[in-house]
Order: sequence, then C-alpha cells, then structure tokens
Amino acid sequence: MSFELIKDILLATVPLLVIFPSLFAFTTWMERKALARIQNRIGPNKTGIPCTRIGLFGLGQPAADGIKMIFKEDIVPRGADRLFHLLAPILALIPAMLILCFLPLEFPWTKSMQPIHAFLLDSAVIFFFAISGLATLAIFMAGWASRNKYSLLGGMRAVAQMVSYEIPLVLSAVVVVMGAGSLSAEKIVQEQNFLWFVFTPWGFAAFVIFFIAALAETNRSPFDLPEAESELVAGYFTEYSGFKFALFFLGEYIAMFAISGLAVVLFLGGGNGPGAGLHPLLDPWVPVVWFIAKIFGLIALMIWLRGTLPRLRVDQLMAFAWKFLMPLSILNILITGAALHLLADGRLEALTRRPNHLYKMIEGANPAMIGVLWIGSFLILYAAACGLDNLNRPGAKPRNYKYAE
Amino acid sequence: MNILGGGIFKGMAVTLRNFVGSYFYKERLTTNDYEWRPKDKLPQSIGDYPKEEGEQLRDTTTVNHYSRNFPMLLHDTGEPMDTIRCVACQICERECPPQCIYIEKSTEKKENAGGKPQFYPAKFDIDVSVCMSCQICVEVCPFDAIVMNSQFELSTPNRFGGLLVRRDDLLKSNDYYHQIHPQEAATRDQKMADEKAVKEAKKKAAAEKSKAAAEAKAAAEAANESKEGTE
Repeated sequence: MSFELIKDILLATVPLLVIFPSLFAFTTWMERKALARIQNRIGPNKTGIPCTRIGLFGLGQPAADGIKMIFKEDIVPRGADRLFHLLAPILALIPAMLILCFLPLEFPWTKSMQPIHAFLLDSAVIFFFAISGLATLAIFMAGWASRNKYSLLGGMRAVAQMVSYEIPLVLSAVVVVMGAGSLSAEKIVQEQNFLWFVFTPWGFAAFVIFFIAALAETNRSPFDLPEAESELVAGYFTEYSGFKFALFFLGEYIAMFAISGLAVVLFLGGGNGPGAGLHPLLDPWVPVVWFIAKIFGLIALMIWLRGTLPRLRVDQLMAFAWKFLMPLSILNILITGAALHLLADGRLEALTRRPNHLYKMIEGANPAMIGVLWIGSFLILYAAACGLDNLNRPGAKPRNYKYAE
Repeated sequence: MNILGGGIFKGMAVTLRNFVGSYFYKERLTTNDYEWRPKDKLPQSIGDYPKEEGEQLRDTTTVNHYSRNFPMLLHDTGEPMDTIRCVACQICERECPPQCIYIEKSTEKKENAGGKPQFYPAKFDIDVSVCMSCQICVEVCPFDAIVMNSQFELSTPNRFGGLLVRRDDLLKSNDYYHQIHPQEAATRDQKMADEKAVKEAKKKAAAEKSKAAAEAKAAAEAANESKEGTE
C-alpha cells in the first residue's frame, strides 16, 4: 500500500468521521432548543464555558452531556446476553456511518487531486438501502439481548416498522432513478442541475412519501413507537446506560443525517445551488455548504414535526405504510413512466442514454403539454391520495372538539 | 374544503407561532430565568423572600389566578396582628392530613377586627416540606382565616428551620388576596357578609323574641297580680 493511497483514504474518510459526529452534537442542542421554544420554554442556556457564568446559549450542553455519558456506570442486566448487549450499539452505528460514504460530498481538499470519494459506486442508491436495512438487525439485537420485556417489545415494533416502511422508501426512490436514468448518486445530482426532482409532480409526491418513510425508518416522532417513552420506558435501549446509550443516540442521529443526505441527493439537487463565483477560494466550498445546509433544513423539519405531531398507534402505523404509502408510491411509479414517455415523445430510449435527459425532454416539448402534464399528474396523485384515505378510513370527517376553545 | 393532511399544517402553524412568539413575547415563557446570586445572598428562609406585598405580586401575577400552592393567614385592613382573623381554634391543625400545621393558642384574649375579644395564635407554623397543598385547612376553617396563596418561591438552602414558615410570614392582607385570586376573594367576602347579615338578623329576631317573651311574661305577671288583687 502506497503512502498516496493511505493519504487518499484518510482524506476521504476522516472528514466524515469528524464532521458528522460534531454536527450530531450541534443537532442535539438545536433540537432541545427548538423543542423548548415550541413549548414556550427557553431550553439549555446555562452550560457555556466551564468555570465562568458565560452561557453561550447553552452551546456547551452537548459537551457536558458527552462527558456525563462517558463517565456514567455501564450497567448490564444480570440476565442479559453480554456479548450481544455490547455488540448492538456498535452495530447500530456502523451502517449509519457506512451510508455517509455514499453521499456525493466533495470536500475541497480532495479536489486538487483527482476527486476522491469515500465510496464511489455506480449503484450507490441500492447499496444505501441494502446497508440501512442492517440497522434493524442491531435494534432487534439490542431488544433481544437486554432480556427485558420493554426492550423486546420495542425491538419487535422496530422490526415491524422498519421493514414496512422500507418498501415505500425504496419505491419512491425508484421514481428518481427512472427520471435520472442512473443509480449513481453523482449522476442523479448532475441530472438535477436543470431542475430538482422535487419540482416535478411525481418527484414531489415521491419526496413526501420518502420523507414520511424516512421519519419512520429513523424512528423519529410521530413514528417513534420503538422508543415510545410513555409506553415502553425507552424501548429497545431501556437497559443501556453510559457510553453504549450514547452510541445508540449517535447512531440514530447519524442515520438521520444519512437519510436526509439521501433525500437531498435524490430530490433536492445535492450540492446544487447558487453562490458559485463569489471568490475563487470559496468556490469549492459552495457545494459542500449547500449540501449540509439542505440536510439541516430537512432535520429542522423533522424537529418541527416532532414538536407538532402526537405518536401514532401501532395499527395506524402499519395501515399507513401498507394501505396508503405503498399503493400511492406504486401509482407514482406508473405516472412517472407515463409522464416521461409523453415528455420524450417516443424518443425515451434515445434520450435516457445521454446526460441531462430530463432537460432535453423538457426543452423539446410543447409548453402547453408540459403544463397539462404537470397539473394533470399532480391532480391524479392528489385524487389518489384522497381516495386511499377515504378507503382506509371510510366516513372519516374532521372532528369537532367539544372542549376546545 | 379540507386538504388531505391539512391538519398537520394547521398544527405546524401553531407550533411555529409558539416558536417565534417565545422569542418576542416574554409573557409567553412559562419559566423564569433566575439571576445568579452567591450563596450567602440567597434567602435563608422563606421569610427572607421579598416581604413587601407589591414585590411578591410581581412573582405571583406571572402565575395564573387559578394557582393555589401554599396556605396563608388572612388579616383585614390594619395592623396584621390586630386584625388577624384566626382565633387559634386549631381545627385546621387537627384536620391537616400530613399534620404540618403547628399552632399555639394565646393565653389571653385580644380584640379582633370586629372589636370582639378573641384568642389569637401565639405561634402558627406550617412546614413547607410536609404540606401537600390539599387545601383542606381552607375548607374546614369556620372563620375564613386561612386561604391558599399562589406564591411559589419556597426554596431555601436551609433544610430544617428554613422550611418552617412562621406566623408573621404567613400573614397576608385581604387586599393581597383580592389581587391574586379576585373571583374567589369576592365570593368569600360575599359569603362572609351574608353570614354576618343572617347572624345579625337572627340576633335581632332572637332579641325581639326574648323582648316579646319578656313583655308577655311581664304582662302575664301583671295580669296574675291583678287577678290576685281582684280575688
């Protein structure tokens, strides 16, 4: 192994290992602050610089939490399977960290040489889903190895939920793969130079489905049943304390980053964004900054939803995945196919071989036809969603709350 | 017309309003930010908290007027100990479920606000650490002398003596009571006035009755005498 290779490997992986865990620390602070403000509280505001009374808006809170976690006693229940109890948090973190490698983040210090990625794959999207499925295993392992009824219930819920929601997640990503004509994250981002997929009707529907499924995949509220505090103590990590608990927490947040990163790649144009050409030194940073800003936008949305929505019931959760999201995403695939075919005007085969084919299709098409297609497919999807909702909950009407106001 | 998923957006609008509002409107915040004070500057007992009722109001007005936290003793307008309503009957002491009230009856009587000689509590302490805010003392008091306060600043660094609230710290004027619990105070005053009126009417009736009885007796005696005289 040459020195150059080792240097390249380090340059590609170390930023991921440094940047995302520190962003995790920042996100926990952001989440606590935002949730506090939503509930008309102040949130952490005293933990700043140690030994002084400088609060810094509580920015020291993650560091204080980290120190506390490291020095806490690590308790393993007597009946627990010690090996798997130890392995579970590590295994929960590994897939989350691996997924980060597939994100097309180009750090400027790799630009001077040939562009290196941590993991450049032609089929990154498939690998993403393959590896993110492993997190389920780790969570069930934690639930099983703890030998605690709440942990086991949490683990079982997690498996049911994550397996169910993986299907709409993958099916909505298929729409983007059809539009971009590639499975590579790089190519999908390039395809969106002209138009982000979220601005197409099928892309928008797919984005909504993807985002909902992503919330469920990362066990975020309103789909946080596996760790429902009010029902299961803490779900699958009831029996974890100290640094193992911190690892679970880290894994969960890294998974949030990863899945938001994938949403950014698939629907929000990756690192595309205005701002290039301000200064030659700043230019290489623009895509990275845009990418991370978009991830943070999605995470802010997740926090906002967590502060807003109550938790679903288990049967509602399952019904929502299988009876609502899945038929809708299958219909969305059909609509995408039809729309792309109409746009390409019979030249679909020829166009998908070339880059920027969506751009070429739209450029060559009749504007009236595009308008009809856009509004039409949006209406079809909306009607289908309303119809599915009616089928699932026949006769459901908005409720009149007797005691509200 | 209802948009599919519109309820989610409605809820998100509410949370956004709370989020933004909490930065601009101080009164939205449900928690107070405390100024840092060195340990020796901290109040050593509950009595050390601002004694002026205006000062206390600043604390308690941030609390909704339905809040009831800890008992206080009422006095009418005037010097607290001259107009205290409590007559040290010790009913509350007996009824208190966690037994946190300690009363010592005075040995001699003193005139109260009504100008009537009454006993008064020489000692009236309530232990904060034991009190469970059940308000039973308020229910059983026949003199409307003890009611609930909404003051919540009850912590002290002194675990033993500091948590025992003394009579003088418990004494609050009826005006203060009107300020913190306006509705309840008005009803209570109305009830007291009604009771007083009923009592007075009864007294009057009883006086008239006894007067009438005395007159009748006198008349009967007179009749008797005259009867005897005629015989």
